[in-house]
Amino acid sequence: MVTEPPSPDSAPHNPGGVPANRRGTPRDGSVPRVETVRITAPDLKRRGAMEKTRSRLVYSAIGFTLLFLAVALKLADATVLQPLAPHRPERPIARLLEPQKAADAAVRSQRAMITDRNGEFLAVSLPTVALYANPKEMIDTAEAAHRLKLALPRLDEPKVALRLANAEKQFVYLARQLSAREEVAINSLGIPGVYFENTERRRYPLGRTAAHLLGGVDVDGQGIAGVEKQFDKRLREDNTPLRLSVDVKVQAVVRDELSKAIADFHAIGGCGVVMDVNTGEVIAMVSLPDYDANLVRQATDEERFNRAVTGMYEPGSTFKLQTAAMALDSDVAHPWDQFDAAHPIHIGRFTITDFEGKKRFLYLPEVLVYSSNLGAAHIAQAVGAERQRAWLRSMGMLDRIGVELPEAGRPLAPPAANWKEIATLTIGFGHGIAVSPLHVVRGTAAIANGGIVLRPTVLARDDDQARPEGTRVMRGETSDTMRKIMRLVVTDGYGKPAESPGYYPGGKTGTAEKVAAHGGYKKHTNVAAFMSVFPMHKPRYAVYMMLDEPKANSTTHGYATAGWVAAPAAGRVIGRIAPMLGMMPEIENAAEINQALAMPLQPTRQWRAVPMASKPAQAPFAPGLPAPGLPASVPPRDSRHEAGVPTQPTPAFPKGPIGASVMPANVSRPVMHDAAG
Amino acid sequence: MPGLSRADNSTLGRWWWTVDRWTLGAIGTLIGVGYIMMLAASPAVAERIGQSRDIFILKQVVFLALAGGVVVCVSLLSPRGIRRLALAGCIVALALTAATLVVGMEIKGARRWISLPGMSLQPSEFLKPCFAVVAAWMISEGRRSPRFYGIPMAVSIFAVIAFLLKSQPDIGMLAVVTSVFFIQLYIGGLNVFLVGIGTLGLGGAAAAAYLLFPHVQMRVQKFLHPTIESAYQPTMALEAFGNGGLLGRGPGEGSVKDHLPDAHADFVYAVAGEEFGLLICLAILGIFAFIVLRGLLRLVREQDLFIVLACTGLVAGFGLQAFVNMASSLALIPTKGMTLPFISYGGSSALAVALGMGMLLALTRRRHHGDAP
Repeated sequence: MVTEPPSPDSAPHNPGGVPANRRGTPRDGSVPRVETVRITAPDLKRRGAMEKTRSRLVYSAIGFTLLFLAVALKLADATVLQPLAPHRPERPIARLLEPQKAADAAVRSQRAMITDRNGEFLAVSLPTVALYANPKEMIDTAEAAHRLKLALPRLDEPKVALRLANAEKQFVYLARQLSAREEVAINSLGIPGVYFENTERRRYPLGRTAAHLLGGVDVDGQGIAGVEKQFDKRLREDNTPLRLSVDVKVQAVVRDELSKAIADFHAIGGCGVVMDVNTGEVIAMVSLPDYDANLVRQATDEERFNRAVTGMYEPGSTFKLQTAAMALDSDVAHPWDQFDAAHPIHIGRFTITDFEGKKRFLYLPEVLVYSSNLGAAHIAQAVGAERQRAWLRSMGMLDRIGVELPEAGRPLAPPAANWKEIATLTIGFGHGIAVSPLHVVRGTAAIANGGIVLRPTVLARDDDQARPEGTRVMRGETSDTMRKIMRLVVTDGYGKPAESPGYYPGGKTGTAEKVAAHGGYKKHTNVAAFMSVFPMHKPRYAVYMMLDEPKANSTTHGYATAGWVAAPAAGRVIGRIAPMLGMMPEIENAAEINQALAMPLQPTRQWRAVPMASKPAQAPFAPGLPAPGLPASVPPRDSRHEAGVPTQPTPAFPKGPIGASVMPANVSRPVMHDAAG
Repeated sequence: MPGLSRADNSTLGRWWWTVDRWTLGAIGTLIGVGYIMMLAASPAVAERIGQSRDIFILKQVVFLALAGGVVVCVSLLSPRGIRRLALAGCIVALALTAATLVVGMEIKGARRWISLPGMSLQPSEFLKPCFAVVAAWMISEGRRSPRFYGIPMAVSIFAVIAFLLKSQPDIGMLAVVTSVFFIQLYIGGLNVFLVGIGTLGLGGAAAAAYLLFPHVQMRVQKFLHPTIESAYQPTMALEAFGNGGLLGRGPGEGSVKDHLPDAHADFVYAVAGEEFGLLICLAILGIFAFIVLRGLLRLVREQDLFIVLACTGLVAGFGLQAFVNMASSLALIPTKGMTLPFISYGGSSALAVALGMGMLLALTRRRHHGDAP
């Protein structure tokens, strides 16, 4: 209504639109004599709020009505519609009894069996009865304890009497695993408040066999270790047997040979692993000392310690296989390259030397055959820290192994920032890093099986299952060469005692000093291991045998090294388990196989290029014996080598007197290859 | 009391003609039922507690009589008097609840009680009605004068209480106090968005309680997956109801009270079900429903926000407590130890509920328009 700007003495501007009225005064333009209802904005707001409050009160009342209605319905249901009164015969026995039956059935249906790969029982559940009491229902607890003792002599009467007398609870276990005879005897005593509970008891018929794999259960039947723990839920919910990859016969042989070796060399323990190199299935896994899986709760920590997956040990010389494969695969080194094993390496405050070294330059196969730390260190140095670390990561040496055992541990390796030159050198011969034996087995299997790294598993694979997913970590040719070198270790090196005629094992010894608890090495306390794969021309199984702190005896001429203590055990294991695994010794075509696996200790540059020079009749690989995982036909040798070699003037690195003009280790990749190729 | 004349201007006379006599009658009936249930449940309980049955009964007679007295005395107060009483009560109860953490008796893993001669006191029971009134006052005062930070203050006091109850731990009480406070905020006109957030928050808090407190987790698990061993109490209670049927086994004929340790408190409804049957149980339920619904619906006519909120809080607390007790003995919800107002055995509980009902009656007395609330 106001069209012109307000004069200075007009009423104050009121944006609310409601003129400020004095009590009783009519507004401008209103009908006179009619009282204006005073509704101020806040009042309006309050009234609106009260309206909201009222409607919400009604909603709340509706909510409570629903709650009380639910109670009323449930009340009617519980009293009249579906009454639950099992102790009144005139009323129908109500539905809650059925779940009880189902629960009973569940108890009877039991925890699933565990079998080995051939269906042998490893763990079964037997129905049994436990005795419990409700002290509140007992008339005289001391008397009850006394009478129970008469029927069940193994009861500790004072303890039971005390538990019954002091019990606030209404449920006290008195004894578990009653025999039927005991159950009847106690039942006929007629003591009020004494009850039986149907339960089950986990039995491991083979006792100590595969105890670490199986683990065990606690008094309530819950898995507390091994696959019992790992697959606890599966075993409880799915009644079909759980089939493990382990073969009890092989397991027994490995345990037998291992315990003999431990006894012979007074070792404090040991472990043995057999793995299928093409599938990753663990065929046997033994750790000694072990325990009876039925008595897992009484086992000591030492007995329950699974050296194969929990124990982290320096792999020692078995790691030289990794170093050699890594160098060959990255073309940093070749079989005919030589490495300085004459001069100790001084780096920082460390000195690297060889154990009974040859004190000369060694060809690459010799580095492994004579297990030269210096040679391996030079090879590792040539490869370099970065590639070494990447290689070990791809081999899974830096992470948990992924096997289905809760005990599997994490390797100890220097962090990337700390992976200094000294680490590179020592890791080259397996020191300064600690991995579980199963890590070594997996890594070696990958070297032998054509270059595929697999996840180890303790579960059996069905035969019709597709080839397991693996990761290729090296060229097939590298694997071919490495198999020959591994074979050479057994035919010509420290691995000789592992030879098992007709099975062509190859492998590598490894002796490492144990790391003391406070750091530093413990002198004269070794871990001696032999890592082998057989048969080398067609790899099937990896066999690893390790002794913890073996002592020399008269037969070993004072040595407690792997070649003396672990390799013979591995050889005997191979000879015994191969027939069990369906392999017969291949004697007839031994010449061919030997030829196919042949490799000179000191190969010349021409060795790979003209392998037929000496025996023209022989192919480098026997036809029909392809390495698994590789194409059936043997792939051509690295073309660069073939192209390069014939045109190479031999004296590029002349084979003069040893050590005179050999290639320095850290320049092991000759330039002329590239120039010629 | 029909002797009181309309013209009687004494305090008592005015009280009689202004008080909500229907609710008063319902409360009186509940106290009567409480006497009967106490007689039914007592022999077994007295034996279990190791007291003589006479002393046991005598104590409860005294407590229920005291409770009746408290209802009447408190309902004589003016709304302003109630506010002062609630404020004082809230401070004392808060201090005592805090003290339980230091000097409390530990029963079944929780420190909720303070031991007094002849009885043990659970201060958080008293905190519940007092806080409801105090919160109502703060919210309504906050609405009235914008400079008064009512809701923030109420929320901070609530936070302190929640912390104390969580520390005891008394998750059931915490759930009821939280729900009551939330209902008050809702009735007080909290906007819908915040109501949604609050509902989500309560759900989150319930999930957190489930994850943080093993005994809560265990109870819920037993509720979801009952087996004969694990759900012993609810199964026994359901058997009792089933045994009672329509008309019950007759007074003293029940058996559940011999088997259930908490028959006199948490499972008293099951004892009632077994001995007196569906009809009496429905009647008891009806009385609770009557008090709650009548309380809420009468508030629709009320003009004063403080009265509305305070009564809502008192009634909701009372109703929820009854619901939780009855529903858990019927296995409708996980077992939660909470007494059935006036009917369960226990002095502390009866007096606290009486205090709350007394406040309700005082606040809902008819007032002259313009009487200062």
